[in-house]
Amino acid sequence: MVLLIGLCAGILVGLLGIGGGVVLVPALVHLVHMDQHAAQGTSLFVLLPPIGLGALLEYRKKDAVDFHAGIYCAVGMLLGGYLGGRVAVPMSSQFLTQLFGGFLMLSSLLLWGKASKRSPSQPAASSQGGA
Amino acid sequence: MRKAIGFLLAGLVGGVASGLFGIGGGIVLIPIFGLLLAFDQHRAQGTSLVALIPPTGLLAVLAYAKAGYVHWLTGVLLIPGLFLGGILGAKIARRIEPRRMRQVFAALLFLLGAWQVFGTWRR
Repeated sequence: MVLLIGLCAGILVGLLGIGGGVVLVPALVHLVHMDQHAAQGTSLFVLLPPIGLGALLEYRKKDAVDFHAGIYCAVGMLLGGYLGGRVAVPMSSQFLTQLFGGFLMLSSLLLWGKASKRSPSQPAASSQGGA
Repeated sequence: MRKAIGFLLAGLVGGVASGLFGIGGGIVLIPIFGLLLAFDQHRAQGTSLVALIPPTGLLAVLAYAKAGYVHWLTGVLLIPGLFLGGILGAKIARRIEPRRMRQVFAALLFLLGAWQVFGTWRR
């Protein structure tokens, strides 16, 4: 079960260019019944090794990578990660779950709005995503 | 130089989300790259993967581990699937047109968020 969750999350890592925690956390909470903090801590641990390396090489073939920007971001993230961890640990699990879900939904709505507005030169037919 | 500061700040914001929510941070970096820095969706995703290669969450993991919130064994079992799945997903992504890519991204995020919020109600 856990191996399978890893594989599914991995596909999304490659497909979306994310760390996978976004998938791991809900999967660990709802399928393995961990509490929110344990799911988040475990997810962070899983993300320590460079699991996205294979995916990154695929993106490089398409020349869709800005290494310079990526490296600067990594430096900032190290520090930010510590701050976020310090904030999250004392929160209640229930509140943290709701905050996380709300955060995901909000960011998706922002992105969707932007995706639908952009490049008006595109034919209208392709602007209808599979909603 | 100004650009570098922008990237550092983007990383800082991504990192806070990473530590707060136990995620990689890509989910925050990608919208920042795409919407604020005008990268196309594939480039935003590829660059986000670079930022996720070093163990940026190390300090966050320590913060969680100190409170006893890390299940080490489950974590280790998740790693091989993630790695292989990552390659597979990237191969799929290369075939998707950039604008559609952003919609795929947004739709999946929404579903994951909804699962997280409504999943707890059902329990």
